[in-house]
Amino acid sequence: MQPILKINLTTGTTEEFIIPKEWERDFLGGASLAARILYPYLTKELDPLSAESPLLFINGPLTGTSGPTTGRFVICGKSPATQLWAESNIGGFWGPELRKAGYDGLWVTGKSQSPVYLWVEEGRLEVRNAASVWGKDVYQTQEFVQEEVGVKGARVAVIGQAGERGVLYSSICCDHGRMAGRTGLGAVMGSKNLKAIAVYGKKKIELADVEHYSALRSEANRTLKQDNQAKIIHELGSASAANYAEYLGAMPSKYYHQGSFANVDNVSGSKMAESILVGTSACQGCVIACGRVVNIGDGTKRKGPEYETIVGFGPNLLIDDLVEVVRLGELCDKYGLDVISTANTVGLAFHLYEMGKLTKQDTGGIELTWGNFMAVRQLIQLIARREGIGELLSRGSRQFGAAFGAEDEAVQVNGLEVAYHDPRGVSGMALSYATSPRGACHNQSDYFLVDWGNTQENIGITYFDRHAQAEKAANVARHQNWRTFFNSFVMCIFANVDPQMQVDLVNAACGYEWTLADMMRSGERGWNLKRAINNRLGITRANDKLPKALLKPYKEGGAEGFVPDFAEMLNAYYEARGWDKESGKPSKEKLMELGLEDVAKELWD
Amino acid sequence: MTAVFPSEEWLKGLEIKINSDEKYADIAKNWEGDLVFRIEAEGNLKEELTFYLDLWHGKCRKAEYKPEASAHPKPAFMLSATYNNITAILTGKLNPMTAMMTMKLKVQGSMGYMMRNVPTVLDFVRVANEATEEIV
Repeated sequence: MQPILKINLTTGTTEEFIIPKEWERDFLGGASLAARILYPYLTKELDPLSAESPLLFINGPLTGTSGPTTGRFVICGKSPATQLWAESNIGGFWGPELRKAGYDGLWVTGKSQSPVYLWVEEGRLEVRNAASVWGKDVYQTQEFVQEEVGVKGARVAVIGQAGERGVLYSSICCDHGRMAGRTGLGAVMGSKNLKAIAVYGKKKIELADVEHYSALRSEANRTLKQDNQAKIIHELGSASAANYAEYLGAMPSKYYHQGSFANVDNVSGSKMAESILVGTSACQGCVIACGRVVNIGDGTKRKGPEYETIVGFGPNLLIDDLVEVVRLGELCDKYGLDVISTANTVGLAFHLYEMGKLTKQDTGGIELTWGNFMAVRQLIQLIARREGIGELLSRGSRQFGAAFGAEDEAVQVNGLEVAYHDPRGVSGMALSYATSPRGACHNQSDYFLVDWGNTQENIGITYFDRHAQAEKAANVARHQNWRTFFNSFVMCIFANVDPQMQVDLVNAACGYEWTLADMMRSGERGWNLKRAINNRLGITRANDKLPKALLKPYKEGGAEGFVPDFAEMLNAYYEARGWDKESGKPSKEKLMELGLEDVAKELWD
Repeated sequence: MTAVFPSEEWLKGLEIKINSDEKYADIAKNWEGDLVFRIEAEGNLKEELTFYLDLWHGKCRKAEYKPEASAHPKPAFMLSATYNNITAILTGKLNPMTAMMTMKLKVQGSMGYMMRNVPTVLDFVRVANEATEEIV
């Protein structure tokens, strides 16, 4: 891979960081490589919003090569929301453009005295004044920066007002509505007075065996285009999952307290396709095009919602108006707010209001009655501005709940709000959420798809009943390892690409001779390294848990009466992982086996 | 009535079963769409086999074994699988969702309609399973 450009915004100094070849071979790229690079810096004492805090934008070896859904990159650091390892995976065109500009990463530290944006063009870096766009939303800022740099094709990653003001679940946006939403890295960027990063280049991306790679790429994309799952997502977006998830009792409603939602079809991907959908959008080189383009009656084409937005602002709040869901999602995007955490934290506010723990006096007169989308709109605005009740909400559900003596009502794990795939309907998500290195995340292992039936037998990911428990723990671990590989590749998890093809692509691009076992081992290495980082940041076995709401059976719907026996599942998971059951750390033997000797020494000696 | 798969008797038995199964009638009460199944030759099946089902509001209006290629040019859904995969589904060895998500069962048609009606599809597989006595 190409060098990483390091920038210290306090001093204005830059240097190139050359990625050691052995790190590339062991960690491939993306999030796993970032974990290796940032390992020494992510200490318990580090304040994620301090000048010293690193923010690393990094590609994978296939970014921008037009491989199957490989136009992606990741952003990593220490999360202000969880105080743990942070990574957020994002599509669009920015990562490929950075690559063409001559770098495979940007490593930002320090803090500018005033708002700035970075302009990286053909290997050159310029720090520019962003005072005039401080306070503007993500699209206004992109427009300004694109116009000021004056280069057609420049791509801009940007934060909104939420990131500027330190909302703990602020996102970073690139292109139109492609968001790195989770873990609050927008706030880290804002804390550095860094409003945007524009990139442009023309450099050719180098591959070990271009001819072979091109042939594989064509074959992989052709196959992917015919794939059932890809066709569903192309036609209906990720919201295609809504109807079936609701049927299984895997789509939480009423802040995870209601197991069915009769009007699910009103907010489904199918409904969107036959009502407001006017087009699709894709990230660089993607043949799926999951992005929705909708017209809600005002003649304007805008981004349509994906599954998480649909459920978070729909059933989660008992809203069944698709157009309102579009508006609420768009508002979050403009401010630069993660939709999952925003909708979850707002949902908690509604829940506490119903319980009587939160009053109209607390909300400044806003009635938080289920289905009241105008109230949701008001709360989002207050969160982005950190005003009134929005100040407390801006800290995320864990802190918000604690402020009202109800931390255990918050549906979060280690400070990250749970996404909208309920482990009572798809039990594998219990382990996915509880053990993810970034809190309750569905992208480190979207195991719900395996619980639906999406298996990968050549890497040992087989089918278990959706309500099977401890017996699927090792399967979940394998799936996590595989998805960790995706996040280093960097490939979109919507791509149903055969693992052997993935290995072939790696080998052709990097000149390796990997096998499937090497691929899985690389994923396992990345997973354990991130765990070790979190152990150092204070994570123990006691942190591997589920929130109270997810351990209470639903009284209705497709998951009625079921709760996972989480303790048994976790025991089996530890066994499968080779983790120490007392401390929650990967065992010394496991770390040594994975070639993480320095980490083993630090954790155990 | 159960019968050996694949055979005309099996398809007839499936039609009867569909039209008498109360659970299916309820789950599939909103389904409107005909299907062509294309089973690719493999193992004991020496040549490609097709059959046709017109499913409507929880009932089967028509079933045809080996219809003329031109008989149903635009079915709502075309489902294709190899013989081994289709028999694995019929014997419960292969989860139908797994078959679909791993491309062991290929689907052509409105994905929007399919995703709205996954429970109907799954219950259709149950009915077909129960109509199958033996696999050749």
